Amino acid sequence: MMRIRRCAAVAAAAVSLALVLSPAARAEGNSLDDIIKAGVLKVAVPQDFPPFGSVGTDLKPEGYDVDVATLLAKDLGVKIELVPVTSANRVPYLQTKKVDLVISSLGVTPDRAKTMSFSEPYAPYFSGVFGHGDVKVAAPADLSGKTIGVARGTLDDLSLTKLAPADAVIKRYDDQAAAAQAVISGQVQLIASGNVAIAALNKENPGKSLDEKFIIKQSPCSIGIRRGEPDLLQWVNAAIYSHKLDGSLDEMSVKWFGAKLPAFPVL
Amino acid sequence: MHHFTFLDIVWALIGAAKWTVLLSLIAFAGGTVVGLLILVLRVSGQRPLVEATRLYIEFFQGTPLLMQLFLSFFGLALFGIDVSPLSAAAVGLTLFASAYLAEIWRGAVEAIPHGQWEAARSLALGFGKQLRLVILPQALRLAIPPTVGFSVQIVKGTALASIIGFLEVTKAGSVITNVTFQPFTVYGLVAVIYFGLCFPLSAASKWLEKRLAIGRSH
Repeated sequence: MMRIRRCAAVAAAAVSLALVLSPAARAEGNSLDDIIKAGVLKVAVPQDFPPFGSVGTDLKPEGYDVDVATLLAKDLGVKIELVPVTSANRVPYLQTKKVDLVISSLGVTPDRAKTMSFSEPYAPYFSGVFGHGDVKVAAPADLSGKTIGVARGTLDDLSLTKLAPADAVIKRYDDQAAAAQAVISGQVQLIASGNVAIAALNKENPGKSLDEKFIIKQSPCSIGIRRGEPDLLQWVNAAIYSHKLDGSLDEMSVKWFGAKLPAFPVL
Repeated sequence: MHHFTFLDIVWALIGAAKWTVLLSLIAFAGGTVVGLLILVLRVSGQRPLVEATRLYIEFFQGTPLLMQLFLSFFGLALFGIDVSPLSAAAVGLTLFASAYLAEIWRGAVEAIPHGQWEAARSLALGFGKQLRLVILPQALRLAIPPTVGFSVQIVKGTALASIIGFLEVTKAGSVITNVTFQPFTVYGLVAVIYFGLCFPLSAASKWLEKRLAIGRSH
């Protein structure tokens, strides 16, 4: 399975590269008009990352990102089409125009911004290192000689890899659940993960809750939009802005994260 | 967040197993049709055709199915061709299965003694008739057990279709685990479902092997 995931990553990279080189990818479009004309907003949402996106008993997506997507479609007066994605294929979905927006707990980096545009932040997120009480770690240097689990290819993975001393053993898992299971079952001592995921995990495992050791990085989530779509980007920003003011984002945040939205830095 | 009871998990997985079964059927049916065509070209003796099919088989056996599915879904979209996940999966799995089946069947055809071809030719049968009336009926006997065996690989291979958005049984298992944090229960059930799908195929393969008595002298 590990080998397979690596292949997926290579394939994703190949497609990204092809996109950068292909003339179609650079062409300006007007997705905003197209969406309104088609009457459907296609949004990539997570299905394996509670509480941003997970599944209900009918395997339909649900979560904060799903609610935000639904709200935006309502604003546009169009139907919503939810496309469940993983962190490995959400970017190809956007680049190949199979979705209009990526609302999938996406963190902003200069590298990612080369391939897509980012909206103003709409969701809180910080990644940190978490572990059981008996593991003594308070700073990145303390990770020396420790084993840390992380979901492959996530921002947590990228930041941890940069931060950890050379003799820290980083074990990469296919998704959040696998990394979480590794730390619960003791295969790794620590986990690098988002705060919200750990909160969800602690709720399910009351006896074995994980403590925050240190914060790796604040990284509020943005909505991803194809490059060269200033109208759509502006519209999304306007929608986020107005829903921050009218309290509907706060309401969803209380529902899924258990707290109102914090103040975000401006993008 | 909803709470999944054990029964909820079972029903959700069985619902997702429908995709596993459907994708397997598509792959097997498509693979059989295209595979037969490749086989005929492969044993035709026409050099360019033989080389072309060899290249085809080498390509699809030599690259990961995951990559093939990824490229048939996202790759075609680069050229402005919008393919639905189902047609991308159908194309990807058909090409994959056809390459393997053609190669399995070539083995069976080549196992038929050369004298059979010569005998058929001496009866003034053309290539098509030699193959259809003389060679394939005998090769079929040899080909059935490995073909059924390969169908088990197809069933398990459909799990890779999750990269293009299919919520088949493996992916369903992983998304349910993300909500329930009960990997042993969920993946245990996933394994049981796969076993339920694959065991009858393996058993059929054994039964056919005995019944067709491979290896007995003719």
